[in-house]
Amino acid sequence: MAFGLKWSGSGMFLATEIRVQLHEWLAIVTGTLTPGALIVFVAILAPELLPVTVIGALVYSMFLIGQRVLNEAAYIRIDHKLNELYHASPLSPEGYFVGIAGGMLVAYLPPSLVLVVILEILHPLPPLGWLVLAASLIGVWLVSSTIGYVVSTLFKDMKTIWPYSALLTNLFGVVPPVFYPLGRVAIEWRSAVLLLPTSAAAALVDAAAGLDPITTNEAILAAGALTVEAIALFAFGIYWARRTAREP
Amino acid sequence: MTIEALRAEDVRKVYHSRGSPDVEALRGVSLALRQGERIALLGRNGAGKTTFLRITSTLLLPTSGRIEVFGHDVVSAPEDVRPMIAVVPQEGKPFFHLTPREQVYCYLRARGFSKEVARSRTEAALEKMGLGEVGDRLSVTLSGGQKQRAMVATVMATEAPLMFLDEPTIGLDPFARRAVWDMLRALTRRGSTVLLTTHYLDEAEALSERLYIVEEGRILFEGTAEAAKRQIGGTLRVSIENGGNHRELFASFGQTVAEGASLHVITEPERIHEVMDVALRNRLSATVGPVTLEEAFLTIVGRSIDAE
Repeated sequence: MAFGLKWSGSGMFLATEIRVQLHEWLAIVTGTLTPGALIVFVAILAPELLPVTVIGALVYSMFLIGQRVLNEAAYIRIDHKLNELYHASPLSPEGYFVGIAGGMLVAYLPPSLVLVVILEILHPLPPLGWLVLAASLIGVWLVSSTIGYVVSTLFKDMKTIWPYSALLTNLFGVVPPVFYPLGRVAIEWRSAVLLLPTSAAAALVDAAAGLDPITTNEAILAAGALTVEAIALFAFGIYWARRTAREP
Repeated sequence: MTIEALRAEDVRKVYHSRGSPDVEALRGVSLALRQGERIALLGRNGAGKTTFLRITSTLLLPTSGRIEVFGHDVVSAPEDVRPMIAVVPQEGKPFFHLTPREQVYCYLRARGFSKEVARSRTEAALEKMGLGEVGDRLSVTLSGGQKQRAMVATVMATEAPLMFLDEPTIGLDPFARRAVWDMLRALTRRGSTVLLTTHYLDEAEALSERLYIVEEGRILFEGTAEAAKRQIGGTLRVSIENGGNHRELFASFGQTVAEGASLHVITEPERIHEVMDVALRNRLSATVGPVTLEEAFLTIVGRSIDAE
């Protein structure tokens, strides 16, 4: 029970969430439609960028999985009041948060793995590249899930919440260099862009794959920012879950 | 020795919100529940019932006051309280994309029950709530009443020492309501304690051993349904058709309430003959019935509103 955290029951709650999501298989499959469509565009317009776009699609998909936490947590709190059922029970608030986030990950990850296969066909990564890819995707998921969970607790009706998921996904996943190389960004903007978890992840994987080289300083900045953001935000997410389990 | 399941002392709750005046939802509520009791909390909409239930079930912080569940402080030690409670939230719904069987089983497992216990309790709860036949259908396909029954089954299957039920039978047909009542009675016989809110006063009367009437965040009445009825000055009601214009004839027998053209006289059994005599002499048709809890509730709460 490090840091006083309690995880009993969270595995079963996670399994509950997976079960809920698996009944909505169409939503799971369509989760990869947007990045899939972008890959088609790029394949037609700039085929030389295809491996970068596939890596971007993986990062984007991972961010999207985190944003599903926003919709799911808000839905079961606002529409179903199931948060009350679980918060007034031995399941800890941190177990509830991690249960939802983990449930979304396990349910929605498999379609994204198709992108891994495509990447392996288009541009096989070296072992270090796979390691960087896995670590970066975990970082993006931690950041996005926490943002999703925290935002879900801030509003009282679903209609207010809906735009935030789209806004965050575009802000983190489409605008910055996730689907396109960091090299296309003006030099003076690069440092700022690398502070964003999604573009930091994409830049690190692109570089590890030998697709878009970055300087050592940029690599340190991207890796440092992503690591700090992932750890700090996830810790904040746990704090926030505990705080919001009971309204002030 | 009597074990106290819940003790609340001088609980106050003020809601602050930017741009609008503070709302004082609870103004010093004190009450106590003994283990194994079934207690109803009655009140108008916005009286403070749900606020009280949410505070006692660790979902909301009070502004001040002290609440203990089996001796554990709800404010400072919620993690000690939570394993002992279970809540049916007001307007709560099951996971739409789980079946009632999955819903109950998964919830029990998340609460730490073994597979065997969770499985047997799930089947028993579904059976008792009449959900056996629809137990494997996704909840999204169920009727509103069936969804509510799935929620009640989920919570009751926990057999938690203290259960809070916020309007648990809303939307249920009379048969399903009675199934809930039976289940609650069985649970309290086994030692669970139940605090429920309801707007069905027949339910409160049939189910609760004691009741509290709350109005504007204060407790107006505490006692049995019979004691509540006695508060309004009699246990029988004589309803006199077209008696609205003859109020003065009956004023001396007890409380009189005009309702349209009819007049209701609340009185004691020993005075019934006199009331009926007066009605017959004036060629008024009259019927006698017991005072209902609803009349007692309306009188007690109405008195408080008049006083303000």
